[in-house]
Amino acid sequence: MADLLFELGVEEIPAQAVSGIRDQLKDLFIARLAQLGINYGEIECAASNRRLMVHVTKLPEKTVNKEETVLGPTKRIALDEHGLPTVALKKFCEFNKVKISDVVEIETAKGRYLGIVRVAGGEYTADLISAFIPEILAGLTFNKTMVWNESRVPFIRPIRNILAMFNNKLLALEFAGVKAGNKALGHLLLSDSFFEVNSFKDYVQGLVKNFIILKEEERKSKILAEIKDIELELDGRVDIDDTMLNYYVFSNEYPVAFSGSFEPRYLSLPEEIISAFMTHEKKLLPVYDSAGKLSNFFVGVANIPDENKKVSRGNEKVIRATFEDAQFFWDMDRKLDFFSLKPLLQNVMFQKELGTYLEKVGRLAALVDLLVNETHNEPLREKLQKAAFHCKNDLLTKMVREFPSLQGIMGGLYLQEAGEDKIVWKAIYGHYQPRGLADEKLVDLGAGILSIADRMDNIAGFVGKGIKISSSKDPYGIRRDANAIIKIIIDFKLPLDLDPLIRLAVLNFSKKDSDMKRDCETIRELFVSRLENSLKDFWKFRYDVVNAVLGKDMLTVLDTFLKATALTKLIESGLVDQLAALQRRLKNICKGFERCNFSEGLLKEKEEKILSDVFKESKSRIDDLIIQKNYLQASSEILEMKLIIDRFFDKILVMDENESLRKNRVALLQRVDELLSGVADFSLLVEFKPGERI
Amino acid sequence: MSIQNVILKLQEFWAERGCYIASGYDSEVGAGTMSPDTFFRVLGKKPWSVAYWQPSRRPDDGRYGQNPNRVQKHNQFQVIIKPVPEEGQMLFLDSLIYLGVDINIHDIKFDEDNWASPSLGAWGVGWQVMCDGLEITQFTYFQQAGGMELNPNSLEITYGVERLAMFLDGQNNIYDLEWGNQASYGALKLEEERQFSIYNFEMADIDMLRQVFQQYQKEAERLLEHQLYLPAYDLLLKCSHAFNMLDARKAVSVAERTALMGIMRNLSARIAQKYIMQTEGEDHG
Repeated sequence: MADLLFELGVEEIPAQAVSGIRDQLKDLFIARLAQLGINYGEIECAASNRRLMVHVTKLPEKTVNKEETVLGPTKRIALDEHGLPTVALKKFCEFNKVKISDVVEIETAKGRYLGIVRVAGGEYTADLISAFIPEILAGLTFNKTMVWNESRVPFIRPIRNILAMFNNKLLALEFAGVKAGNKALGHLLLSDSFFEVNSFKDYVQGLVKNFIILKEEERKSKILAEIKDIELELDGRVDIDDTMLNYYVFSNEYPVAFSGSFEPRYLSLPEEIISAFMTHEKKLLPVYDSAGKLSNFFVGVANIPDENKKVSRGNEKVIRATFEDAQFFWDMDRKLDFFSLKPLLQNVMFQKELGTYLEKVGRLAALVDLLVNETHNEPLREKLQKAAFHCKNDLLTKMVREFPSLQGIMGGLYLQEAGEDKIVWKAIYGHYQPRGLADEKLVDLGAGILSIADRMDNIAGFVGKGIKISSSKDPYGIRRDANAIIKIIIDFKLPLDLDPLIRLAVLNFSKKDSDMKRDCETIRELFVSRLENSLKDFWKFRYDVVNAVLGKDMLTVLDTFLKATALTKLIESGLVDQLAALQRRLKNICKGFERCNFSEGLLKEKEEKILSDVFKESKSRIDDLIIQKNYLQASSEILEMKLIIDRFFDKILVMDENESLRKNRVALLQRVDELLSGVADFSLLVEFKPGERI
Repeated sequence: MSIQNVILKLQEFWAERGCYIASGYDSEVGAGTMSPDTFFRVLGKKPWSVAYWQPSRRPDDGRYGQNPNRVQKHNQFQVIIKPVPEEGQMLFLDSLIYLGVDINIHDIKFDEDNWASPSLGAWGVGWQVMCDGLEITQFTYFQQAGGMELNPNSLEITYGVERLAMFLDGQNNIYDLEWGNQASYGALKLEEERQFSIYNFEMADIDMLRQVFQQYQKEAERLLEHQLYLPAYDLLLKCSHAFNMLDARKAVSVAERTALMGIMRNLSARIAQKYIMQTEGEDHG
């Protein structure tokens, strides 16, 4: 039994790409070992920004011998009437590099074939591995590649070293002009360029001696533990999101957390600016004090220990200079008359073929106008239209030009500084929110409305331009925009039918009639599928509940959400079974009938007259409840009719010989089904036991 | 360490490693990359090693002399090595050590930063090198220039001279740096920064800049017809600076930006082709 140690030494791989490459590498190794029939114990794959390591244990010296049958043509085709080999058989032998005399008859379930039986395997594992490693490396995919040497092999960054050992012996292989050897890359700063390796044990010890923490999890927990220490020391709190943690974990082989401070006077800058400049610009984290206020301390992660505080002092200087820049932008921008920037938006392109931002804000104002009507927020009209007209002005400020992720926020802050009305500046401030379904709920309704307008305009623009999205491709974030719209509607409980909004958004790009119809349809489908997805995956409704409430012809997000909520409650209360059984029965009987006309005059029997009377009496009340979106109450009122419906089923033969009687009875049942469908299609719910979750 | 000592030491270091020490180019450029010593020499097959100090102008970076870290004219130290040396990263770290940086106590990071210059039809893959959070160098493997794939590739190392000096000297303010022999950066450069910031942002004559852009462009095209690609390139550099000035004056509309960039990209590609045709013969035409 032997083990394989492979390490690829690479110049700094971009942090966000490392884990993906590591996972690809592992998958490719596993697939190749399986394909070649090489058994093994464990496979471990680990990576930092400077190395990709694969360790496979308990490999055999040689692969197992086994008999292998290769079927050729059927006997009938392989031999002619004289029993002589045909062209088909000759080609088969040629392809498999065997003589005709090697061919044997093979009996199979499908008939008699000619073919060969040969012994496969028995190859040296080391040879197989040396041969497949370069193929695996060539099979890795990257977002962007480069070339650097005569080999012209594209890779993510230059390869500087290959360590490859099988059973503690060097493997002969070469990739991208680099020959494998028995040394590994050292730490960039803390050790020699290379260290020698003669076994896996050697390698592990060498990593420790050379200040290399190879495993992602170990680097991560070291960073988090040290940040925790700093929190205690400063009596503060550090928020670290996954993006930043991932950056630290994959840009350092020996991560060490450090802290520093800056002059409190910079705290007069808006908090948004301070934290944005720190995290995105300088990869440092702000520290909040025990009261939750931004303090003048920060935390960062270095690739070396900082016993002399050199790293900390250096970063302090850098952050100070950065804040000086921020202060310069903040001061310069505030000298501008913010509203006067709008005409200059004609110089800023929104998207190729989709015009300038000046055109865009015009479209947004029209959408906002429709939105305040549809959501009954008419009193906000004037202020939100003003916000729409000016929400992109900040693209012309120095701050946003330098730092695009502050767009929206800066516009809001500059207008707040200028004493603008709260509704206007807050709408602009928040109109890029939410970034995703998991974001916190928006607090400002105006920002929500403007955000819907902005995103629907994006969607209509990109769809109109013919941008297609697929499960892996969504270059303009169309799906994210749709999700955000759904979230805002649900968070603010906005009674908004999306159809008129979609139509206006598409019309805004002055389309031909036929294109307009096509675009509206594409966008509708997008929303139906986004709504379905978010209800299931994000809000965690049962899949059958979502199917039951998702109407294909109505795009009223809020109704759908509230119906799903009501259905979930009905399931919990155990009442849903009866409704489901009822609707299934109704649909079953009415199957195959078009919608029939109903006439009271054709009612004959007592039970059908009672049902008709009760239905007539309940219908307007239940319709009202549905209009008020009180789906729970509506459902229980329908349920109250169940006894009468059951009696109808017991006593009345729906399929009467008389066609007009038959159709009239079906019509009555269709009306009841329609009433029920106003809440949901309960017949789509799967059978379940009370309390059971699917 | 003073500005002039940073430059002198880097010249010494790279001269010893086989670079020819050139002078910075004598026309306005936005970066060391734009000097003919880089633009032309990364093209074609011939090996090339050069190092030079290049004053570089970025009109939009003007801060009226009031920012401790940013100026509209800064100094780059540019190194080009073709083909890419295998030990390039280590050579660079050695140069830092030669300048007096103790790499065991300073956090030096290669942070992804890919470089592109659309108007030169050039791009590369690499990093910004951070030292304790301060960007001191751009480290790039050139992939394309003048719209052409490069083979062999070149390594470009661009040091920010002021940044390095501030780091080595422990200064917080660029104007407190010593240029050399007691002459301070402030005494030499503060007034220049103030006046040029006013010029770049407020005074530059927009119509004049548009006109000269066109005249330089025409002249470059005329020269290209006579195979005079070197002076044509000079005129392209002048177009580029005029464009940067227009941009600092916020006078470039969307449509105009696309058009002007297109003109420059087109010129740079034609200039690069003429150079290759003449220096490497028909197999590269």
